[in-house]
Amino acid sequence: MHRPSAEQFLLTLLETLEELPPELAQRLAGLVKKEHVDRASAIRQLFEDVAGD
Amino acid sequence: MTERLQRLVMHAFRGVPAEMTVDFGNGESTVIFGENGTGKSTIADALEWYFRGEIELLSHEGRQHAVRYVGGEDGRATSVEVMTSGTLGGKVVFPDERTPDTFEAFRRETFLLRGRTLADFINKTKNEKWKALVEILGLDAIESLREDLQRARNDLRKASKAADEEVRVYRRALSSGGDTVSEETVLTSLRQICELLGVDPPQSLEQVAEPSWITAAVGASANASASSTGRENLVTEIEALKPPDFDKKVFEAWNALVVSDRARLLPRASLVREGKRLIEAQSTEAGRCPLCGQKVDQKVLARRIESALVEVMEASRDLERFRDPILEQADSLEGAYDLREAIHERVSGLGLETPPVPATPDTRIQDQVGALAPVDVDAIASYLSELRRWDKTVSKLARHISTPGPSERDNQLMMLAALCQQIRAWQQAEKKSARAERALTIAETVFDGYQRKQKDDLGELLERISGRVAQFYSTLHPGEALDAVSIEPWTAKGIELAIDFYGSRQRPPHGVLSESHLNSLAIAVFLAMAASFNEKLGFLILDDVINSFDVEHRGRLAELLADGFSDWQLIVLTHDQQFFEHLSRRAPSWRRIEFTSWSHASGPRTTKYETSGMLAAARERLQSGDVQGAATKGRRALEELLQEVCEALVAPLPFRRGQANDRREIGELFIGLRRTLKEHAKSQLQSLEPVFKHLEADVGATLNVAAHASRGRSGASEVQAALERIESLDALWSCPDCRTRVWHKGTPEAARCRCGKSAFPPVVVA
Repeated sequence: MHRPSAEQFLLTLLETLEELPPELAQRLAGLVKKEHVDRASAIRQLFEDVAGD
Repeated sequence: MTERLQRLVMHAFRGVPAEMTVDFGNGESTVIFGENGTGKSTIADALEWYFRGEIELLSHEGRQHAVRYVGGEDGRATSVEVMTSGTLGGKVVFPDERTPDTFEAFRRETFLLRGRTLADFINKTKNEKWKALVEILGLDAIESLREDLQRARNDLRKASKAADEEVRVYRRALSSGGDTVSEETVLTSLRQICELLGVDPPQSLEQVAEPSWITAAVGASANASASSTGRENLVTEIEALKPPDFDKKVFEAWNALVVSDRARLLPRASLVREGKRLIEAQSTEAGRCPLCGQKVDQKVLARRIESALVEVMEASRDLERFRDPILEQADSLEGAYDLREAIHERVSGLGLETPPVPATPDTRIQDQVGALAPVDVDAIASYLSELRRWDKTVSKLARHISTPGPSERDNQLMMLAALCQQIRAWQQAEKKSARAERALTIAETVFDGYQRKQKDDLGELLERISGRVAQFYSTLHPGEALDAVSIEPWTAKGIELAIDFYGSRQRPPHGVLSESHLNSLAIAVFLAMAASFNEKLGFLILDDVINSFDVEHRGRLAELLADGFSDWQLIVLTHDQQFFEHLSRRAPSWRRIEFTSWSHASGPRTTKYETSGMLAAARERLQSGDVQGAATKGRRALEELLQEVCEALVAPLPFRRGQANDRREIGELFIGLRRTLKEHAKSQLQSLEPVFKHLEADVGATLNVAAHASRGRSGASEVQAALERIESLDALWSCPDCRTRVWHKGTPEAARCRCGKSAFPPVVVA
């Protein structure tokens, strides 16, 4: 059985979710790959960014 | 593509003092038999060390160094070399300096199950089982991301709540305590204030949010503010008034100089200069004064003129030195006067009466300086005193020029400014709140979806594993009232094994399963995990896993391994002769190795069988001249054969309470076998009866080692004949083509070998 990576798992999920900003998947996947960062804070910031003004 | 083991070479490792090689051919399955202490588990240890980097039992006891053979040859390095069908092979030398990255490709894979740790997984807590599964499935990275998404979601939830609260505060302020405020009501308030101020009202709240609008509104009322500012400045100026500095010494020095003799020369300075010029020009009659014409000594006259001129010049320099500071003082007095005169006018303009500014003496000072006359110092000091008095008087008056209180218009302006500021803050808070809500919606959508997918995927995975576990378990325990084995989720972070026990769901199953049932379950879980998730390792090692199994369940396990895992490379280590024989029969293509003994000096000794186990061992002994050993092995082979046949054909055997029912006397087995054959294969019994009788006689004499001691040893030819009889009986139950037993599939009453060409009862050819 193939073990999916967290990134693959997330991308598969995001493809199924509707009404999300189009650039979110790519930017979120980019964040998942990063190591040694406060990922939760970075994800929060990303959600705020894509929420717009 | 999974990899198989082809060869294992150990040096000075565990029970191997020098070198030992185990050949697995081209990745073939192998069953390894050895009594306790013969060193067979060294193979499992070597493979565990190579593929895990440690031997768990040793690490657990803090004895990692015990991988080395104790007391071996000095200087011999401990090493394990593994050759595989792919790229995972290599050589490890003690001390093992490999990093965890070495094992990354297969660290999650299952390959080793030991009897001593058999039930470890099923005895774990729900949470420990969950963690083990997360590790095996590689879900830790996915779980870690879920935690980060959850943290981000929670942070945004707090931020959104705080932003909502901020909005509520502004709404309450703008609606005088209510929780709702409309744009129209705010605009109405604005319009009312603007009307009072005479300012054009805004058309929308967006307009108010623009700083230019409020600037324009305030600008229209700037004059009122300017007036207020002017008063404040005037008061500040009055309070800062100070008479100019007065250096009395300069004036006194001036006065002393202008009344001195030297100063009296100054008016004649031009006359002296003219005389000097005429003499130097020699334009006068020689010997006469160029000014008065009297007869003089020319040289004396020149010296006197020069002397006078020097004195005049010095007096002139002194005057110059004092004149400038005095004139500066005169300017300061004039400036002080002008400043006060201006203040006098502004104060008067405010309707307050102030005394006239004292007249300045600056002009008189300038005149006196011009005339080289003494300056009236007392007059200056007196004037400065008058100035001080005037300043004090005006300063007292200035206290009454306080800034007037805000006018009604000012109040309205302030209200407008405050309202605009509140509106801007409210609108910003609304924007912030809306943005926080949008961000939270995104976070919740992603997190909820992630969690849902994780749960669904895990559910699907558990279902697949459960299906396999149930399949393997039911193969080991068919037809029992214990059914529907599965691994089920237990809250968010737990899993548990469950089983149906007479209609009741038991989770965990420990309360209703015996130790051997639990061990069967553990083996089923191990096999299911490997079958479901192994991607690199195509081999499984089972080291003494059947200790708690009875004969029947050992047979079933042998069938499961031989038939259900024929696509895998299995390495089965056992100290159970019957299981070894059973597996050898069930899987004739497997390699067979027997660990016969172990010594400190030479380590394990092994025998590789080319044919079936015990009989081959007996033949080897006979060939090597060990007739007694051959007889012992022959008797064991007959015993194992009869036991196996009786079990396969479900022969009626007497049950003996408290005794090993899988270790019956050969006589009992013959009785059971005859009864079964009589019932199902009468003609076969008749043809076999002579062989049975011979064998019964062999058991009593040729194969009876205890009898040898009293009656003398059997001859090699007698043992040879007995072995041939056993072989013929053995061959009767084996298919000559597929080499599996004739009861490989079907029921005890009607069975066939794997290829189907041999059957029980035997097919009688007409």
